Amino acid sequence: MELMVLQKRARPSHANAAAEFDHLLRDHVPALYRAAYRWTGAVDRAEDLVQELLVRLYPKLDELRELDRIRPWALRVMYRIFVDQVRRERSSPVQFGTDPVEGAEDEGQELIDPAAGPAELVEQEFTQERVMAAWERLGEEHRVVLSMHDIEDYSLPELAQIMDVPLGTLKSRLHRARARLRELLATERNPPLARV
Amino acid sequence: MYEASAPRRHDLTFRHTVDRDSEILRRALKRIPAPEPRPEFIDRAFAKATGQAQAAAQPRRGALSHLVSRWETWTGALVGAAVAVVLTLFLLRPADLNPADITLALNETRAIDVLIDSERALDDATIRIVATGSVALDGFESDREIDWQTHLAPGNNVLSLPVVARSTGTGQLVAVIEHGGRTRRVTVTLNVLESESSRT
Repeated sequence: MELMVLQKRARPSHANAAAEFDHLLRDHVPALYRAAYRWTGAVDRAEDLVQELLVRLYPKLDELRELDRIRPWALRVMYRIFVDQVRRERSSPVQFGTDPVEGAEDEGQELIDPAAGPAELVEQEFTQERVMAAWERLGEEHRVVLSMHDIEDYSLPELAQIMDVPLGTLKSRLHRARARLRELLATERNPPLARV
Repeated sequence: MYEASAPRRHDLTFRHTVDRDSEILRRALKRIPAPEPRPEFIDRAFAKATGQAQAAAQPRRGALSHLVSRWETWTGALVGAAVAVVLTLFLLRPADLNPADITLALNETRAIDVLIDSERALDDATIRIVATGSVALDGFESDREIDWQTHLAPGNNVLSLPVVARSTGTGQLVAVIEHGGRTRRVTVTLNVLESESSRT
């Protein structure tokens, strides 16, 4: 006589896995969505990005449950998806990984930043409308680094891990992003005269 | 040789201004509103993520292939003390399709053995088990129905199914064997009681 024994599943059933996935990630989705929105600047694109993130993460449930901090890890995955999306949209490699400018490792580089005129940066002038307008004109790579560092307060070492770039490159990128934003804010402050 | 010099007063002032400017800029950025995700989006996104994974991992036949190796652990021995009931499925012989009902205590897990008596070796026989009502297959609580393909040896093949009584009332365990367009089905009714007093 042949005996076949049905053993308990070593892995959780699908329903259990889905519930566990939900439990692990649901609290992080709003923050991830806000980051996605800042990066993409549009609700539908942010939703697409978060949707794709969840689709990619579900098969990694075993990895997820072992993590101490899920959000930076998820953010890292989302960043890679975003970079891929931007690359596809542009049909050419996006310059996310440009070499650091010479001397970028030096924190003192900002001392020679010509774009940071003290008289120009008056807080009262940064109306929400003006900042948002400048933000919308900012490139994706600049939005990402400013969003995570200046808005979400990730440290540079954390960001270097999330974005998988050397610290020096990251500092350089952050510097350029701020400079570009200042330029755009200056433009917003002095809009070209409308033709009449 | 390069010799570091102390920062000049002008440099310090400029740096202080830049730091202050960065902080002002930072505060302005933090005020940019970012919308919350729509609740229906979150629900839909989770459903899609987990549903897609399930669909990708579950073609109907052979989807439980990871189980087959376990099911095909042929020991060649009779089931031991865990045997509670033996149901017989005759693929090529008359079948007893009216086994006695079984009574379980709530939360009890019991091995229900299905005896498959095959006249000859059968490759690619399909076995489908359906658990309904108050009972479920232990370890497969979320799956009312599981099926897989396996090989049946000539003679008796015992399929040991761990059934758990998860609520009081009545449940059914249905075993279906399919091969070459022929089907044999056996249904056993299980009664789940609060206590173990009525155990059969």
